[in-house]
Amino acid sequence: MGVELKLSKESVSRKLFVVANSTLMLAVVTVILVPVLKVAIDSFDQRASETVFRVIPREFTLDAYRVIASRAALYRPFLISLFTTVVGTTISMTITSFFAYGLAQRDLPGRTLLLYLALVTMVFRAGMIPLFLVVRKLGLMNTLWAVLLVHSMDAYYLLLLRNFFTTIPRSILDAAEIDGCSPLGTFVRVVLPLSRPGLAAIGLFYVVFYWNQFFDYIIYIQTRPQLHNFQVFLRSLVIETNTQGFEGFAFATQSLKNAAVVASILPVLILYPFVQKYFVKGINLGAIKG
Amino acid sequence: MARYRVFYLFMLPGLLYFVLFHYLPMLGLRWAFFDYDLRGVGDFVSFEHFSAAFASDGFRRAFRNTLILSSLNIVIQMTAIIVISLLLNEIRTVGFKRVVQTIIYLPHFLSWVVVGSLFTLLLSRQGGLVNALIEGAGGKSIYFFGEPSWWRVIYLMILSWREVGWGTVIFLAALSGIDPQLYEAAWMDGANRWRQMWYVTLPHLVPVIVIVLIMNLAKIFNLFESVFVLYNPLVYSVGDVIQTYVYRSGLKEFRFGYATAVGLFRSVIAFALVLSANRLTRKISGEAAV
Repeated sequence: MGVELKLSKESVSRKLFVVANSTLMLAVVTVILVPVLKVAIDSFDQRASETVFRVIPREFTLDAYRVIASRAALYRPFLISLFTTVVGTTISMTITSFFAYGLAQRDLPGRTLLLYLALVTMVFRAGMIPLFLVVRKLGLMNTLWAVLLVHSMDAYYLLLLRNFFTTIPRSILDAAEIDGCSPLGTFVRVVLPLSRPGLAAIGLFYVVFYWNQFFDYIIYIQTRPQLHNFQVFLRSLVIETNTQGFEGFAFATQSLKNAAVVASILPVLILYPFVQKYFVKGINLGAIKG
Repeated sequence: MARYRVFYLFMLPGLLYFVLFHYLPMLGLRWAFFDYDLRGVGDFVSFEHFSAAFASDGFRRAFRNTLILSSLNIVIQMTAIIVISLLLNEIRTVGFKRVVQTIIYLPHFLSWVVVGSLFTLLLSRQGGLVNALIEGAGGKSIYFFGEPSWWRVIYLMILSWREVGWGTVIFLAALSGIDPQLYEAAWMDGANRWRQMWYVTLPHLVPVIVIVLIMNLAKIFNLFESVFVLYNPLVYSVGDVIQTYVYRSGLKEFRFGYATAVGLFRSVIAFALVLSANRLTRKISGEAAV
């Protein structure tokens, strides 16, 4: 009887707890979603300025997106973002995977030194000004090369990839060599296909990095604003409310801002299901990265 | 040796990257001890830039703000992360839990520019949701980003908005690793849910809490892009941090030598913090976290 009493008491308070807890979680979700939804919904609403918050636009319109798609000053930054994301990710993946492949060679002379060369960069960086002075000296100022190259390899992803490569059984690599594969052939035909999950994860890290890259454009591309990417454009439009070059759009500045935010979130949303899958897996492997 | 030549060739681009963008800038750290501005490199001044920095109000303010914002942020975020993880862990409806997780991880993948834009629009005095609500309730609209008394609160809230959800990943992983038999045993001993949380769950979380805390402490001088995107001259008194101070002295006022010195000071402290954090976590968990 004592047990029964305890059970029923537990189940009542349990139910209360479940309701309270779910409500709280819904509140958290609401706090996360409201800023994004507000901007997204307003961007489709011709009369957004008349309402505080609506779930369904009062007067549906795609005007703001049409304006972005029709004006070079507005869509060029978007194309620059796409371009640097594709090219940057390609460069980064190439450099990183080849270096990781070298580090994964157990008997390569000097491999420890090369490993430490990478490790040091994880804990000590010279900082913004010395790096800027080097980039300037190399003649990369005001070119996309600067933003594509200065952060083209992350030592942390390098180590993740190296660990991935070292888990490939020796026997498979030996078999490839016996079959006449060159080191490059083994790499392309055996190592890379076997490391697909690791490559996908790190590729996504880089894609998000290049898409979100912003500060490098501010410091390295100063005299040629036509090379600025969408993040820089978004900042000057929304945060600095600099509407120079968008004359004639005053009527729609607000919806233009909303639409620009949505346009820059969209690619992240499209990739997000994959990103979540791999990032969470990565972090669960004991890899913690801010 | 010839056998390895091809591997060195594979690693050459990565090696070049490390040398050009990490080790050459380290050589550039010597400018911290020279007069160096737009007129070029001048005299060797030994530690003059450092003593000038320590004596300057701008640097001291940036140093103080970095410490204040970082420590407040750690306290707020860690508390929110732990509470939300514990509550999320109690949700038994798998679908609901997954939806909540998917939504709260999302902000972490939005760039600081996008996050800054979202909140600029949300808190704006022209049609921003929050001020519309305040005015609707008969209040006066507030310039959240321009008033020092508000800026710190808003900044910390935005940091949490972006990072708290993502921060739960590692705690949820730790929570799912707790042996269910422990809860059964506690239940048999008469412990209700709250006591189970207190005596079973929390003790298991302590090592994770300690490690995450140490790693966050190691990163207290890393505050940068979030501030850069969200601050403005009106709130330098509470918002300027070391990195933004380095940026302005170096790349706006072109005091390369001075800014390099301040940056070097920051790098050395950050380096010491990371090393001690690694040593501490190794002692606690048996492995380094970097």
